[in-house]
Amino acid sequence: MIRSRLYILLIGVFVIGAGTLILPLGGTATAITAEEMLADPLLETRARNLSQKLRCLVCQNQSIDDSDADLAKDLRREVRAQLVQGKTDEAILSDLRAKYGDFVLLAPPMAKNTMALWLAPIGFLLLGIGITLGVRRRTTIPSPSPISHADRAQIETLKQNHKKASKHDQPWP
Amino acid sequence: MSRFRPTFFIPIIAFLGLVIIGGLALQGTLSGSRNPNQLPSVLIGKPAPDVPLPLLKNSRAELALDAYRGQPLLVNFFASWCAPCRAEAPALEHLSNQISIIGIAYKDRPQDTLQFLEQYGNPFVAIGRDDDGRAGMAWGVYGVPETYLIDPSGQIKWRHAGPLTRDVITTQLLAKLAEMQ
Repeated sequence: MIRSRLYILLIGVFVIGAGTLILPLGGTATAITAEEMLADPLLETRARNLSQKLRCLVCQNQSIDDSDADLAKDLRREVRAQLVQGKTDEAILSDLRAKYGDFVLLAPPMAKNTMALWLAPIGFLLLGIGITLGVRRRTTIPSPSPISHADRAQIETLKQNHKKASKHDQPWP
Repeated sequence: MSRFRPTFFIPIIAFLGLVIIGGLALQGTLSGSRNPNQLPSVLIGKPAPDVPLPLLKNSRAELALDAYRGQPLLVNFFASWCAPCRAEAPALEHLSNQISIIGIAYKDRPQDTLQFLEQYGNPFVAIGRDDDGRAGMAWGVYGVPETYLIDPSGQIKWRHAGPLTRDVITTQLLAKLAEMQ
């Protein structure tokens, strides 16, 4: 019973995890307009990919790909202008980082001061697993001890007595 | 007490931890030392970006920040379409007695900028035009008004996003300025 509940919990975690991975790929909402797009489909794909990694600093919880803010539009144009110049994706990201700081990246870079941020989820997951296992162990119902020979003999005599008694019973009218 | 298991206290301790973190953040917000809307500038301590800009009143000439080396300088990004810029106009007017202020008209039409200056006063020693916002990007501007304090060697020492209020000027700007002199 407890084991199956744990499995259901695990399946739920996997479903939610898979959902959060798939949703951004399937998301179609974007603020980009047709005239912003680059003619070269390869560069445009790179531009879209970069835009999804960059934060709109006005709205702060949207990427510049999602945001309608003026600054997001300017940043999208800047990313495309730098792509046309032949800059690499890394060079463009580091250029914007030099102007706006780490905050412009939606995924903060792994560094000494962001280590806690990156490792905390793993820590919480391990803590959760630990607590779950601890609680599970404590609530496991001890399996009943096997029936002794004396008990078995007593059951047999009770069964015999019951049979005898039922033979003498009057049938229902 | 012995009837409580040690695990009974885990949620309580976790909750108290959250209360302490939230309390510290709230205290920081109320005392003004923490403002989530103020993004820290990464340009503090770095030389001011050198983006050539046409002057508002003579678009053939360029705004050269280098010409103002040797003195503290205030660079203010503003626009006629920005309401807080109107609100901070008197503060800039007042500050212009103490420090040279460079204005950069951010994504504005020149005729609108000129009309704005006529209406709200012109505290600037020079005004550059950032028509497409690319200079703003180089400075890390994410909204107007934004104000930068530059030291005599041309390094950015302080940045404020949003209008300059009396409190910001007295507790931050003038203190930084005093450090320089």
